Amino acid sequence: MYGGGNVFEATKFDDLQTEDPAKLAEFEARIARGEKIEPTDWMPQLYRKQLIRMIEQHAHSEIIGALPEGTWITRAPGFRRKMAQMAKVQDEVGHAQLLYSAAETLGKSREQMLTDLINGKSKYSNVFNYPAFTWADSNIISWLIDAGAIVNQMANAKGSYGPYSRALERICAEEAFHLKYGHDAVVHLATGTPKQREMVQAALNRWWPPIMTFFGPSDKMSTHTETLMRWKVKMASNDDCRQQFLDMYVPKIWELGLTVPDPNLKKNAETGQWEYTEPDWDEFKRVINGDGPCNAERLAVRRTAEERGAWVRHALLNPKAKYVRPLA
Amino acid sequence: MSLKSLDPRVTRLHLPDGEVPPMEEKPALDQFETYEAFHQKKESTPHAYAGPVHAPNEDVAFLFAKEQYSRRFPCVSLWVVRTENIQVTPYANDGENVYDILRVEAPATQSEQPEPYEIFHLKKRGKAHTHVGRVVATSYQEALQEAKNQFGDKAPIVNVWVVKSKDVLQSAEDDKDMWATTPDKKYREAIAYKVMDKITKYKEENKNTPA
Ligand SMILES: [Fe+2]
Ligand SMILES: [Fe+2]
Ligand SMILES: [Fe+2]
Repeated sequence: MYGGGNVFEATKFDDLQTEDPAKLAEFEARIARGEKIEPTDWMPQLYRKQLIRMIEQHAHSEIIGALPEGTWITRAPGFRRKMAQMAKVQDEVGHAQLLYSAAETLGKSREQMLTDLINGKSKYSNVFNYPAFTWADSNIISWLIDAGAIVNQMANAKGSYGPYSRALERICAEEAFHLKYGHDAVVHLATGTPKQREMVQAALNRWWPPIMTFFGPSDKMSTHTETLMRWKVKMASNDDCRQQFLDMYVPKIWELGLTVPDPNLKKNAETGQWEYTEPDWDEFKRVINGDGPCNAERLAVRRTAEERGAWVRHALLNPKAKYVRPLA
Repeated sequence: MSLKSLDPRVTRLHLPDGEVPPMEEKPALDQFETYEAFHQKKESTPHAYAGPVHAPNEDVAFLFAKEQYSRRFPCVSLWVVRTENIQVTPYANDGENVYDILRVEAPATQSEQPEPYEIFHLKKRGKAHTHVGRVVATSYQEALQEAKNQFGDKAPIVNVWVVKSKDVLQSAEDDKDMWATTPDKKYREAIAYKVMDKITKYKEENKNTPA
């Protein structure tokens, strides 16, 4: 699953004046022609920087996102659901591997990315800092968080960087199962006993506020954002993604007789846009900066896995090994 | 105080709660070297680039590649190559033939023994390299020259990878049964979930009760 809502902050590489104008023109012309950029091509510093950041955050979101669902494998009701939940979690961890490799082609080592995740230097999708209290929470994640992720990933697959597109193509193919599996699980509860309906409604109520922040705050339309869109790094605005998500999934929630815990949520017939209560962006900022219910646990669990596995990796290491970046 | 989780197994790890010192920087190669994997989806199609894996050696790379790239979709054969052993040409523009812009130089050192090389073409940027065939040569340069002679007319070709055949770890004919059960695992196929039937039935039954 994908932590959408990348906040593209200005960097010291924003100043394109320092780039070779001829090379920059050639690079921009290639993207304008609809061609992909491959790792050995010349690229502006800003492009490299922002892509590393975006793909790395995406990778971290997959690996941390696997934790709340992973914890439900043993408690999933019935053997078939255990198998499916396990397969989904394995897919998500696989997505992280694909994405780490794609980011690596741009020059940041996997060692550095993993260290930065654990030390809180790089972010992952903020929604995973919230707990999954019940099996129904896990189902809401499988359905609606993955649905949000797919909106993002489908858009990004059309981006300009070859290795990221290749990874996303495989990821999107696998996500089709996640979405259907999650939907099926939610439908099962929603069409079940009153207790089951109550459970799934409670989980939806808990997850709705984080889901509404999933795509991030409205973009500030700066020249910076405009550059990243022209370079096909950022493929759609955060608000457009949120609108698309609401369009696709609110009707699917309503048809099950479930309610969305936002009295202001409605589609404006004139504008065709969804109206909703503005998410609590102060809470979003507070949680993404470390002060959420599960931040500490997520990182501690990840760190323990890294630390406890270190001796195995060390024992396996071939002393003659030589690092080469992945090719594509 | 140790960390209390909703998951008792996490609680039992007795992880420290509150501020923790940063983890030490990982040493170089903590995540091993890289390998590139190629998969064949069915007998009639060529091997195509699947993606990279990190592994401590070729055999483990093969296992990781099998999990990562042939777990979910049909596969009949898998190749793994150390990234270091792949020679890469520059990338041409889409629509062009990279062999036309390459200056294929005469090999600097002539090794005595000709040996087979595998040739992979990329037809379009952003797509995957596919195996086009094998040439026999005494060096990478000569292999590239040979590849141009034999496969150079299959334009567009935007990039070429050249690998010594001996550097490719290939799954054996006997290995094919490791993919035999892939189609049985229906629970990870989207089509296994017949949601619409349940929803229709639910709507039918609740027609008269307002939500
Ligand atoms: Fe997913
Ligand atoms: Fe996901
Ligand atoms: Fe995913």
